[in-house]
Amino acid sequence: MAMSGILKKIGEPSYTLLEYVVLITLMMYVLTPLLWLLETSVNTDPVPYLSIPKGITIDHFIAVLTNRPITGGYAAHPVYMTRWIVNSLIISGTTMIIVIILAVLASYSLSRLRFRGKNLLMTLILLSGFMPRMAMILPLFQLCRTLGLVDNLIGVAIVVASGTLPTQIWILKGFFDQLPRDLEEQAWICGCDRVSAVFRIILPNVGPGLAVVAFMSFLSGWGAFTIPLILIRREYLFPISLGIASVFIHNPGEIGLVVDYGPTCALAVLYAIPSIALYILLRERLMEIRLARLEVR
Amino acid sequence: MNLKVLKIKTWIRDNLDQIVLSLLVVPALVLIFTFQLIPSAWTIWFSLTDIALVGKKALNWSFVGLKNYLDMITDIDFWRSMNVTIQYCAVSLVLRFTVGILAALFMTLSKVKGKILIAAIFLLPSAIPGIMHPYVWISMLEPKYGTLNTILKFFGLPPQSWTYGAVVESLIMINTWAGYTFTMILMASAFKSIPREYYEVAEIYGASRWQKFRKVTLPLIKFPLILCLILIFKEDIDDFTYAYMFTGESPRPDFKTELLSLYAYHKAFHYYELGFGCAVGFVIAIIVFVLTLLQLRVARV
Repeated sequence: MAMSGILKKIGEPSYTLLEYVVLITLMMYVLTPLLWLLETSVNTDPVPYLSIPKGITIDHFIAVLTNRPITGGYAAHPVYMTRWIVNSLIISGTTMIIVIILAVLASYSLSRLRFRGKNLLMTLILLSGFMPRMAMILPLFQLCRTLGLVDNLIGVAIVVASGTLPTQIWILKGFFDQLPRDLEEQAWICGCDRVSAVFRIILPNVGPGLAVVAFMSFLSGWGAFTIPLILIRREYLFPISLGIASVFIHNPGEIGLVVDYGPTCALAVLYAIPSIALYILLRERLMEIRLARLEVR
Repeated sequence: MNLKVLKIKTWIRDNLDQIVLSLLVVPALVLIFTFQLIPSAWTIWFSLTDIALVGKKALNWSFVGLKNYLDMITDIDFWRSMNVTIQYCAVSLVLRFTVGILAALFMTLSKVKGKILIAAIFLLPSAIPGIMHPYVWISMLEPKYGTLNTILKFFGLPPQSWTYGAVVESLIMINTWAGYTFTMILMASAFKSIPREYYEVAEIYGASRWQKFRKVTLPLIKFPLILCLILIFKEDIDDFTYAYMFTGESPRPDFKTELLSLYAYHKAFHYYELGFGCAVGFVIAIIVFVLTLLQLRVARV
């Protein structure tokens, strides 16, 4: 009996063991570099490589959250840590709202309309962002100065949104295209007009697509670095990504010029929380597909 | 005259639905046009001039036609960096895609428990600030105290010079680590959006594992899959953050890290030849353009 059980197991191999091996390998790849970040954020004596901490402290986190001036080589920098966090939230929140509204409108329309040259228009939208950002720095700055978007958080959000919008329209159109047309037509027959059909039938069924668009647009605002670097001059208007660079790192990108590893890593740990929280929230709320809903009615 | 107005009015009434529908796409197009296409066109214009970043030529620049492009294709460094870029992008594309798909599978379809924790861990590289990536990886790759060499030493293996000898491998390792999340997020949603009922129906008809994948899963995830490939390639050819971190303000003597985008950056911001940098930028855009059209054509989406 037991023997046949084992034979059966060998006969049709369960993938579970293989799955765990792959999963653990991937996790090690993802987490090993981050050990240093976590360790340094609580280490009393931070160093730029992984070490066993002599003592553990939450002082770095307190320093970050109370805007304590940094005592380092470049002490002249004012620190507006809490203000920067608010700025980042404004930028990423605005980006998210702009992108969700415009991407839903555009991709729904492009999914339902039929006209000659639609594929051409879609291709043009996708290709519109293909100039390397680096080559666009000067024109973008001049354009935004003309439009009064320099030193303006909403301006940063608009430019960031325009950069991620083509991708998000494409993603969302894919989800809209996948929905059976009958679903919407059934809703019309049941007496829904177009708008309420969209809100009650279409949008709940593209939940996973909305989750991607919401999360990716939030992330593009939260992580934006180049665009605020070009557009924001006043230090109290910096987003947190730029703030980290300006306070702790004399010359961003060049290695070895960090002033203070402890608070930097503490800030980086805090910085990771909103994105992960948002993703988990979206996952809980939007990722369950509800195709059965119409059949129940 | 009146008849004409009437005709237009009836046409509008008959096609109201279509007209409203097409107006919905306008706001997005306006935003994209203003902040993407206008600066891009401006960049293309710059690429036809001898504009410099600083100095006399920054203000008194003049139109030079295709001179920048001719200089580029006769520059041996351009072709060397093209070679570096092709190898880097190809390997990076495969790895970012594979790791991303695997992570997405673990977050959605696999039977492994604790999906929320898995998702949170896999999101970490894109959740920490990008400005910290170089420092995180220096802690890994540092030759004397770095984590990787400590691990190698623990197993009795010889330490490697990650930042010098194996610099391209290190670059790809970092880029994959920082960049698989895009594929993961998109594909996780794509997997989730496949209605369970489809598989149930397939099972009733006695479909095998492979048939279920071929006939149910693949057609439904083909579109996001192609989109991932296109956007990964675009990002890899565009972004030189990690290459810059091993290079600095001027090209390395061994030229191993000189990606096209970094080559453009060095030309524009180190040698101050902004016009030339813009020309390289436009060439990058054309490469992406052609490859994207090719992928869309092959995949027929």
